Order: sequence, then structure tokens, then C-alpha cells
Amino acid sequence: MESEKAKLLPFYLVIDVSVSMTGDKLKQANAIMPAVVDALADAPILSDKVRFGVIDFGSDAQVRLPLCDLLDENVSLPALTVRGATSFAAAFRLLRAEIESNVKQLKADGFQVHRPAVFFISDGDPTDREDDWRGAFAELTENFPIYPNFVPCGVDDANPKILANLIHPATGPKAMQMYLMQNGQNPADAIAMIAEILISSMLASGQSIAQGGSGLLLPDKQDLPSGISAHSSEDFV
Amino acid sequence: MAGSTETHHGAVAVPVADADPTADWRGQFESFAVGEPGRAASLVVPVPDPDGWDRRDTVLDGVALLDGAKKRVAEVRAASVRGLSHRAYGTVRQDEYGFRRTSDGRHLVIGVADGVSSGKHSHRAALIAARKGVEMLARALRSTGPETFPWADFVRAVANRIERSGRDRLITKGVADAEGMSVREVAEHLATTVLYAVVDLVPVNGAHDVHVVSVGDTSAWVLRAGGRWEPLEAVKNDGAELHSSSVQALPMVPGTAPVPVRTTVAPGEALVVMTDGIGDPLGHGTGAVGRFLTDVWSTPPASGLEFAAHVGFSRKSFDDDRTAVAFWPVARA
Repeated sequence: MESEKAKLLPFYLVIDVSVSMTGDKLKQANAIMPAVVDALADAPILSDKVRFGVIDFGSDAQVRLPLCDLLDENVSLPALTVRGATSFAAAFRLLRAEIESNVKQLKADGFQVHRPAVFFISDGDPTDREDDWRGAFAELTENFPIYPNFVPCGVDDANPKILANLIHPATGPKAMQMYLMQNGQNPADAIAMIAEILISSMLASGQSIAQGGSGLLLPDKQDLPSGISAHSSEDFV
Repeated sequence: MAGSTETHHGAVAVPVADADPTADWRGQFESFAVGEPGRAASLVVPVPDPDGWDRRDTVLDGVALLDGAKKRVAEVRAASVRGLSHRAYGTVRQDEYGFRRTSDGRHLVIGVADGVSSGKHSHRAALIAARKGVEMLARALRSTGPETFPWADFVRAVANRIERSGRDRLITKGVADAEGMSVREVAEHLATTVLYAVVDLVPVNGAHDVHVVSVGDTSAWVLRAGGRWEPLEAVKNDGAELHSSSVQALPMVPGTAPVPVRTTVAPGEALVVMTDGIGDPLGHGTGAVGRFLTDVWSTPPASGLEFAAHVGFSRKSFDDDRTAVAFWPVARA
């Protein structure tokens, strides 16, 4: 394997498990991973290439599913449980460390690695100081050659003005988007819809790779589930 | 199917004798896999491209080149195989090859092209570059040897043909401004990498002189005696932080004139020109795929069909179109 370079597409789900996620929201959060497994089982071209990892965060952040081939029979899916506050900073720092070590390991194993994709789901404001989460996000996205394509998703009490800062890249031909639950929507349902968006992005990106692309492809606005809206970084200045 | 067994990657091997001891036939087919074949190898359901009914999934050749006394000078095998991802997503094979001997019998000209995936009509660019390009090159070699050949003019002429064909295609498709588009805009609809090899069929001290010119990441290798894979161009993407898919491709003409790379290939060795569908898994030629291809290509496979089966080996996550043209010199008695 030392010289051959299979191409991999790392996907990370970074999900808020602060106490406000208790109940149906947590239930839907736990349903995301099995849904991704089902989608990959029907997409063999993609499933040979996707690596999936899960980080959850409350007062601290933890790797709940190390980046892996989800269809590998040795993988068991974690059960997410709620804990504590909402530290964006802890999530960003752990994510950066994970990306750095995962990509390093994959390359050492002889793989070519596409730019990682991150779906970040939160239902509230960060409880860290603003300079703290901003600093941690800057470390994740600036002067970091393997910075991820970062897609923030907000449900319930999430603040669009704060989440909009997390769209990365914010501009340019490969700009990402933010997904928000529309007012009046059931937040647990919104999490299920965001899972659908994550899965269709994964499928579209796999097809894009087959067509010579290398980036994360997000669904067109008209293809979004109703109850979710897409925003670019300019929507909230 | 009673008595048949399903192998780990889905090929069905039928134990003939058990099935019917009086059956007067034999043979079996099992596809090649290197390491883990991946899920795609057994689970992909190949579907046609609704816009490409006359575009073949796989093409192949196996021929010998003879001298004036009907003695073999060399063996040639070639295959272009649609990738698993194109089979799964219902798009045509975008790779193509061409080869022909010059009319004076002196040179073998090989062209291998890899249509750029993002262009809907890139297989047409690949067809022109590989087949028409080889025809043009073989004709031009009647008046000039490969040492003094005007490569830049030739590459430009191929590019012009692709550009012209692209505009015509777009006009046929009802694109109003096809004539007014820049070459770059045409290239978004059809573009291809290409590599040409010119082999002198008259050996010097047993070795055949080879000139190679390329645009983009199609590669040429010599499989040396002892199983060492020697690349004739820089191996792509080395040292890159993350994988990038950008490539040089016609009809965009490279800014600098192409410079031929020269080598020689002797009996016991093989010249292999290949697209990145097979070049990527080959890597530096020192891994499992390099070992596999050394084992099966140290001598010419019996037929084009067998060669195509080698080219189409399965290996997890390598699902691009694959094309290879291989040349084995035959030792003179």
C-alpha cells in the first residue's frame, strides 16, 4: 500500500448535546448515524470512499465515533447522551486535533484525502466567551492547510447571527452554506431534515468525485426539505 | 445454476464436470481483484448512459506486429474499460486509445486519452485525441522522424480539431453562442488529457527507441526486467497536502512547448501507456497493484480479452475508467 493512493472523503458530524437537547431532539440526533449507514449501504461507490466520524459537545467535547468506514462490521454506533453547557470552543479544538491526526494517519496509510466536510448542529448559543470560540474557530479554519468545509446547522434557539460566522469558506466558488430551522418548525423534525441534507450532500459529493470534482456539494435550495432554509454568509452581516 | 458457487466478489464459478460429466466444453471466468476489492466491485449495478448508446463499455485489442519475413517484431495489447463509478451513475466511458503502425512499417504510434470528467462531451475529445491524433501523427511521421518532429504544432493541430468538434457539437445541441465561446469555455464541455508514444520498430542493439509526449496526467511506464516499474513522467500529486483534481487538458494548449521524453524498451521489458484510472492504483509501482501487473504482464497476455480483464481488476475505491496500451518487443532469433 505504500505507494497507491485511494481517494477518501472524510465527513464529520459535530453535534450539540447540551442539556437543552434533551428529549426528542436527542432522539433524532441519535437517528442520524443509522440513517447515514442505510444511505451508504445503497451507495457502494460512495461507501468505499467515505469515512465518517462523530464528535459531540456539551461543557466539553468528545470523539464519540472515531473516523471510520461506517459499514465495517466492527463498527458500533455510539448512543449520544446530554451533558452540560454549550462549548463551541471545545468542539472546534477537538475537531481540529481530530482532522489533523486523522488526515495524517490516512495519508500514512497511503490514501489521498479530499478536504474534510463538517456538519455542525447546535440548538443554542455558545456558553464560551466570544473571543474563545472565535479564536478556536480561527485555528480550525485559518493557516490550517487541511481546514474543513464547515456547514453550520441551527435548530430551535440557535442564533443565526452567531452561526453565520461559522460558514467556511464563507465566499468564493466553493462557499458553504448554513442551514436553519424555520420558525414554528418542530426542532426534532428539523434535526431529521438536516440529516437528510447531510446524506444528500454526501451522495452528491460522491457523484461529483466520479465526475472529476473534489469539493463538498450541498443540495440546491429548491431541493431542501420544507422547514429548513439555506443561507449564505452575506445573509447575516 | 445448481452446483454453482458464488465467490467473494460476486463472480460465479461453475464447476463444469460436476454439473454434467458429458458436457463437451471447458473454461471459466473469474475477475481479478487486488487486495480488498471493495463493495462497488460486487454491488454496483451497471446502467447505460441514456445519451451514449453507441459508446461501448469496453474495447480491446491483441495483435502481433510482423516484419517483412512474417516474423514477430512485437506484441501489442490494449483495453479501455468503463469505470465502476461511470457504470453506477450511467455515464459513458471517457477514456480512449488508438494505435497504428506507420505505412512504411517503421514506427508504432500509440495514443491514450482520458476525457476530463466534468465535461459532458469529453469522451469525444478523448476519441479525437487518441484515434485522430494517432492517425495524424502516423501520417506526419512519414516525412519527419520523431527526433525532429514539430510536437508543438502537432499538439496544437489536435487541440484545434477538438475545439472545432466541440463547437459543432454544441451547435447541434442548440447552443446559440457556440462560435463565440472562448476555447476555455469550449473546454468546459469537452477536454482530454493525452499521451502519445512513438516506438521505433527497428531496434538498435536489441532496444527500441521510444519518444513520449503528453498533455496532462496520462502516464507512460516501462516495466523493466525484474519487475521494476519505471515512470517516464513525474508521478502526479506527489507532495500535495490534499488531493486536487485539476489537470492540463486539450483543447487548452499548454503554455510551454511539449518536450518529448525518451527511453528504450528491449525484449523482456514492456512499454505501458495508461490513464490515471490504472496509473493511480499503480502509484509508484512498488505496491500490490505493481506486483500484480508485473506478474501478469511480464510476458504478453494470451489475448486482448485477458489483458482487458487485467486492466479491469477490482480494488477498493478505485472506480475510474481504465485504459492501457502495452508493447512487448520480441527478441530476434
